Amino acid sequence: MNAYRSFLRLLEGYRRRYAAALAALAVGTCFAYLAPLVTRATIDSLMAELGDDGVMTHRWMADVLGGPSQIVTRLWLPAVAIAGLAIASGVCMYFKGRWAAQASEGAISRLRDRLYDHLQRLPCAWHDRHETGDLVQRCTSDVETVRHFLALQVVEIGRAILLFATVIPIMFWLHPPMALVSLAGAPVVVAFCLLFFRRIQPSFQSMDEAEGRMTTVLQENLTGIRVVRAFARQDFEMDKFAVANRDYRDRHFRLISLMAVFWPASDLLVLSQQAAVLIIGAWWAAAGKITVGTLVAFLAFVAMYIWPVRQMGRILADLGKALVSLRRIEEILHAEPEAAATEELTTLPDRLEGRIEFDGVSFAYDPGRDVLHDVSFSIEPGQTLAILGPSGAGKTTLVQLLLRLYDGARGSIRLDGCDLRSWPRQWLRSQLSVVMQEPFLFSKTLRENIALGRRDAEEQELFEAAEMAAVHEAISSFERGYDTLVGERGVTLSGGQRQRVALARALLQQPAVLVLDDALSAVDAETETMILRALRERRGRHTTLVIAHRLSTLCHADKIIVLSAGRIVQQGTHDELMRQDGPYRRLDEIQGDQAHAIASGGAK
Amino acid sequence: MAMFHDDDQPRRFNLSVWLRVLRLARPYLRHAVGLGLMAISIAACETLMPYLSGRIIDRVESFGVDAVFWRLAGAYVAVVVGICTFIAGFILLAGRIASGVSHDIRHASFAKLQQLSFSYFDRRPVGWLMSRLTSDCDRLSRIIGWTLLDFVWGFSLIFGIATAMLFLNWRLGLLVLLVTPPMAAASAFFQRKLLHSARAIRKSNAEITAAFNESIMGVRTTKALVREDANLSEFQEASSRMYEHSVRNALQSALYLPLIIAMGSIMAGLAVWFGGVRVLEGVISIGVLVSFINYAGLFFEPVQQMARQLTELQMAGAAAERIVKLLNTDPAIKDSPEVQAALAAYAHRPRSPGMAPDGFDEQIHTIEFRNVGFTYEGGEKVLEGFNLTVHAGETIALVGATGGGKTTIVSLLCRFYEPTVGEVLLNGVDYRRRSLAWHQRQLGIVLQAPHLFSGSIRENIRYGRLDAAEEEIIAAAKLAGAHEFIVETPGDYEAEVGEGGNRLSTGQKQLIALARAILADPQIFVMDEATSSVDTETEQLIQQGVERVLEGRTSFIIAHRLSTIRSADRILVIERGRVVEVGAHDELLARRGRYFDLYRRQFSEQRLAELLPEGA
Repeated sequence: MNAYRSFLRLLEGYRRRYAAALAALAVGTCFAYLAPLVTRATIDSLMAELGDDGVMTHRWMADVLGGPSQIVTRLWLPAVAIAGLAIASGVCMYFKGRWAAQASEGAISRLRDRLYDHLQRLPCAWHDRHETGDLVQRCTSDVETVRHFLALQVVEIGRAILLFATVIPIMFWLHPPMALVSLAGAPVVVAFCLLFFRRIQPSFQSMDEAEGRMTTVLQENLTGIRVVRAFARQDFEMDKFAVANRDYRDRHFRLISLMAVFWPASDLLVLSQQAAVLIIGAWWAAAGKITVGTLVAFLAFVAMYIWPVRQMGRILADLGKALVSLRRIEEILHAEPEAAATEELTTLPDRLEGRIEFDGVSFAYDPGRDVLHDVSFSIEPGQTLAILGPSGAGKTTLVQLLLRLYDGARGSIRLDGCDLRSWPRQWLRSQLSVVMQEPFLFSKTLRENIALGRRDAEEQELFEAAEMAAVHEAISSFERGYDTLVGERGVTLSGGQRQRVALARALLQQPAVLVLDDALSAVDAETETMILRALRERRGRHTTLVIAHRLSTLCHADKIIVLSAGRIVQQGTHDELMRQDGPYRRLDEIQGDQAHAIASGGAK
Repeated sequence: MAMFHDDDQPRRFNLSVWLRVLRLARPYLRHAVGLGLMAISIAACETLMPYLSGRIIDRVESFGVDAVFWRLAGAYVAVVVGICTFIAGFILLAGRIASGVSHDIRHASFAKLQQLSFSYFDRRPVGWLMSRLTSDCDRLSRIIGWTLLDFVWGFSLIFGIATAMLFLNWRLGLLVLLVTPPMAAASAFFQRKLLHSARAIRKSNAEITAAFNESIMGVRTTKALVREDANLSEFQEASSRMYEHSVRNALQSALYLPLIIAMGSIMAGLAVWFGGVRVLEGVISIGVLVSFINYAGLFFEPVQQMARQLTELQMAGAAAERIVKLLNTDPAIKDSPEVQAALAAYAHRPRSPGMAPDGFDEQIHTIEFRNVGFTYEGGEKVLEGFNLTVHAGETIALVGATGGGKTTIVSLLCRFYEPTVGEVLLNGVDYRRRSLAWHQRQLGIVLQAPHLFSGSIRENIRYGRLDAAEEEIIAAAKLAGAHEFIVETPGDYEAEVGEGGNRLSTGQKQLIALARAILADPQIFVMDEATSSVDTETEQLIQQGVERVLEGRTSFIIAHRLSTIRSADRILVIERGRVVEVGAHDELLARRGRYFDLYRRQFSEQRLAELLPEGA
């Protein structure tokens, strides 16, 4: 029942259209069932005209057509009726198809949108726990399974039920014993199909698994082609693939062999039902219990209802899949999105001033494993703070906390004097811009990627930002310049180019706080110096946080923090730190007189 | 890269391509003949059934239940049993052909991929290659198995029904058959439309999958840039395109199926009308009329199927072309006829000790790059005028910015590519005159992003030398410094590494790759040091492992670590495809040139890590 409610909720807003589709299906089915009655009336009228003594009962359709004598003199009338009923039924079926498609595709389209939006509003901590591949699969193949269920399977089930609901009364009205004969096979067919597909589920699964193994071997071979060649293992790989390929073929064929049992066996059941109706009916017709027309009508009825009934077994066996898929989708939709701020500020300034204070901040991604311990520092608006430290020291964590990508830090972080949590997340993020070490670019053009920083930016501003990030020249050298597509379907940028494009994006944003998280690590020394000089000229326009592990990048900062294993080990200006005996001075000594240091390092 | 997007454009029928495909199906000729016979038998049975029901009705009308009636009924039951038997036979045969052909094509394609040169892989994404061996293969085998069946069956059934109707009463038969041409035309028209819209759906679907993928991968950037709403509205465009294509497809089938069913009913109507008149005239019996009505209802299915398969065949043209093209591609790098002759000659003759299978010296004493240049197919020049002579046992470090040409030098050494200018000489002999397989067996390679295959740790190390004994594997792991972490892993050497080795950390994967290379005991060791940071402990293990491997072995290292660089015999600084500096560490430092700059940067970074260790 829970699942039923889930599906119903999925169709919200489309339920009426969906119901209309089922209604059209019902009407269309009725029209379709009238045609054999016309044939029956015609045949019986012809027989009567030829002097057959069969008793014509249930003459309703014959009377509608004007009575037997009218029919035989105007034989075009039943012909038109048969064609007309088929057309009327066809029109209904068209609307059934149209409405069912609109309702189910509409509901699924909305489901996709909801999934997409929900995913991007889930907290980073949630994303850390889930694999991209699995999520994408839920959003695509699981959605497809549910779509298939709504668009086709439910309608098919509805059709089968309606067929029964219509055909049973008509048959019993015409001739109850014949009706019993005609329906006897139906439960057998349904039961057989249902049981069969339940039983062979493992074979489907085993084929899918074999296919998976085959593609895994293939994929690993192709991605590792250099290793294969390097060890000259072509023959080994061929053997490995041959085994997986053969296994897949054999399991595939095994499944086909099972189908080679299923289809003919179910055909035999269906055709036996038809043969029974024909032979018993003919017998009764000879005995004068039914007319030939009735026999022909029953044959037509059986042919109409029994094939969809055969599909039923398979559909019923597949129903479980739709439920599982829906549950997997709902797991995403029921996850809590990022919480709104507690006691959010009601009036927001146009722009942050950019004062940042960390006071005794500790943080752990996994409980009990702190990556930041008691970190305290502050920066005034417009100042530059440099954070120095080896990888794994917690620098990036600091940035992620500042962006409120993660919650749950102990201690307090304040922006412009207000607790970080009181600033609405999105507004806060719009005030900061971050360039990461491995920046993510969207598969759009370079122009669009940079313009993500500020959509209303003038072209001139965009070029200026690119120039300041020292990437304008590189972009102009591409054949299509700023209209070059990035990513899989376009050019592959080098790490340094990506970093600089991301920097241009950040600069264009004109943020209150600019964070460079090891953002120039892949840029060569000359270009880095150029970029840093350009950034120094902008000093005072925004608070800057620079994270790096090269002293040259940092030494001009107003304040420098030396971070190690999540703790601040030194903090001060360049001059202050130089006066202390600590890692900073030792590092500077190495770099201050590098020639000497390197010479001695090289000699050891 | 536009040429590597899947296109399923229907194309003109390309006979030579299909002949090649049919040649692949050659081993299944007998199955195909059997399949054809089954299809014809099924069609014959289907034609017989309405005929027999007509006869039965006539018989009981005129004579009641007599012996002939029972014989006819028996015949009907026999036909029913027959049709089921034939159906079982055709499914088995078609299944054998379809699964067999796709297996064979995949096998041949895989074998071809193992021979093709890297220049082939450079321009083709793995995903693209994968779909050749999966969806294209499936599509072709489906065509060869089921399409063939549907054609033969459809033709036979249409032929059978037409013959039966003309036989029963040719005037009435002709009249009823009038509906066939419009039915065929409508089917051809709609099947085409349906396949086009199905293609549009697939394309939209790929777009949506890509959008989900990008959104999940870039979720931090989206949040940081506050792009959620803009992303959503872009996604909604894609998803409403998908909606439109899907609904269009559904509308087309909602229109098509009722349409041809209605046409079938018009046939039935014609049969009732004119057949009824004939019945009154006493020209045909009531049973014949019933047969006609039933035939009319049978007609639309074969017509629909044949129209579908014809379109399917057109759409598969692209897949067939791609597969045939792959199978016909000649590897750019392979043994020359002379080398093949030499290999064949020495295969049957005893070789003197120290002789390689191609007749040259097994030992590599010198490697020389003589005026080597390399240009990619696209015309991009990545290496020019490169000269270098390396003696056995030397360690060469290659340093310089990414994209400078370091990887190209190593790839040329491994003969993944061959120089477009100049030559690479082993013991003074151009390596193009040596066996490719022998050459590549002399190499041990550790790549920057180490690639492991799914399977156990042991299997991955054994990849270096397939006949290695257990002790040798453990010895190699110990030498590489991998043994310790392996025995700490649950299941130790039996532990599964997961797909692509994803259950291990990058550092662990590197250690295993190192052990694998050590086990191969190569004459030439090639390593591309990882730039990505691994934890300090593993880093040290890797470093020690590498040092042990380098001892006394000819090695080429694309180096990032100071210790490796310093211990090299010679350092090559490569920039923009040229060697700008060569020499030992001290010499180069004294020169205060590019190496000095590079070293300074590297040095300070490493010092920082040393000064501020993790957990300090």
